[in-house]
Amino acid sequence: MAKDSPIRALLTVLVTAVVCSFFVSASVVLLRPIQLNNKLLQRSGNVLALTGLLPADGGIEDAELLDLFKGLDARVVDIDATELDSEFDPYTFDARKAATDPELSVAVPPGEDVASLGRRSRYETIYFVWKNGELDRVVLPIRGAGMWSMLYGYITLESDFNTIAGVMFYEQNETPGLGDQIAKPHWQDKWVGKKLYEDTDEVLFHVAEGPVAAGASGAEFQVDALTGATITANAVTALVRYWFGPQGYGPLLQRLREHPPQKPGASAGSES
Amino acid sequence: MSTQHPLTTPLIKENPLALRVLGLCPALAITNSLTSALVMSAALTVVLVISNTTISLVRKLLPSSVRLIVQITVIASAVTVIDQFLKAFLPDTAARLSVYVALIITNCIVLGRAEGCAMKENVGTSILDALGNGAGYSLILIVVAFQRELVGKGSLMGYQIFEPISQGGWFPENALVTLAPSAFFIIGVLVWVIRSWKPEQCEKPDFEPIPLPRKEKR
Repeated sequence: MAKDSPIRALLTVLVTAVVCSFFVSASVVLLRPIQLNNKLLQRSGNVLALTGLLPADGGIEDAELLDLFKGLDARVVDIDATELDSEFDPYTFDARKAATDPELSVAVPPGEDVASLGRRSRYETIYFVWKNGELDRVVLPIRGAGMWSMLYGYITLESDFNTIAGVMFYEQNETPGLGDQIAKPHWQDKWVGKKLYEDTDEVLFHVAEGPVAAGASGAEFQVDALTGATITANAVTALVRYWFGPQGYGPLLQRLREHPPQKPGASAGSES
Repeated sequence: MSTQHPLTTPLIKENPLALRVLGLCPALAITNSLTSALVMSAALTVVLVISNTTISLVRKLLPSSVRLIVQITVIASAVTVIDQFLKAFLPDTAARLSVYVALIITNCIVLGRAEGCAMKENVGTSILDALGNGAGYSLILIVVAFQRELVGKGSLMGYQIFEPISQGGWFPENALVTLAPSAFFIIGVLVWVIRSWKPEQCEKPDFEPIPLPRKEKR
């Protein structure tokens, strides 16, 4: 067959496609379990960092980390129905993917969409931390648009569902040296002990416009400004206001305050 | 071709980045940390070796009408496989490199070497050429990343060398250097240095400037 005949060209392309797709599929299928394990490990580290369960020196084996994570009381909650349990498995449910699924998500009304989410999942995975049979903390995922990128993080609340016990942003791509300070411990530490609400369900918490003087009025609702990163700081304020306002976890937290959650296995009566 | 050696020529004399200015986009994006630069260099070199070897092996069977399709398919497959490996075994670095590993597919160095070398030379020469070009690209990435991470963050491969002011030390971190445009400056200076050393790399002007007409008095 002549080297440049159309049939030969077609055959060459076919053979190339088949051989190459074999290698690509093999690598994807064989490496998938390892990649999923990496993701779970990463998530475990992020969530556990806010629970106070990790050893202070930071040294922990992967297997131990996973055990600790699986020991958490994780629930996939229905945010709008304020249901604490749903049919989803908290270890495989992916709220980020769910946000693009019309069945599992709701459109955020444009007027309310301060965090520029567009759509959000109706379900989120939250984690209760129990200590000696008492609720110690709850870890809630948060997200919202920053200046350049989506910010993904967690906020931990004390058992009063108002006091912030910790915050972290595990994924962001803000301006290096300015906005990316939101991912640095020295700023995140300032959130500890601050409060979201006063008496009403209106979120008062915000990032201040300058340093916050201790004892100033409203200081318990503010953290220090980020120098040179006003847009990122405003975005953080907006996403906290969204997620803890009436469109986000507000109703769920209200319900939790009225009907404290039960430790799983402690009593037969489940929340309904 | 007697003075050309496929392994050493691409290091300085025909450096893919400094002379041909190929693969500039990832070089700007990922050189803010030395670890990323090293992983990116390794990934690109492996892809180059795989694509040059494969293309060189089948070069006599390829009808010239579809050779580019075959080359790109081979390159894209190699890149996807490498990307999967990085995500499995170096998840943190892979997350920081984000799309830039996948974008090796469009890196002109890879297609350029497949078309320019692997289609003509035997397998041995093609592998040496791939290693040489990979090393030449890596050299620039590493030099740039070394400066950017050290000046920008006072660290190397994540280890703090100088204590930055924000953590109570003395070292003023330079935020400009951590941003992508600074790589332009550093690569520009590198190109300048190399071309002063090897003036034969300087491009001839495309045309002689036309002398300006004399200004007439009004």
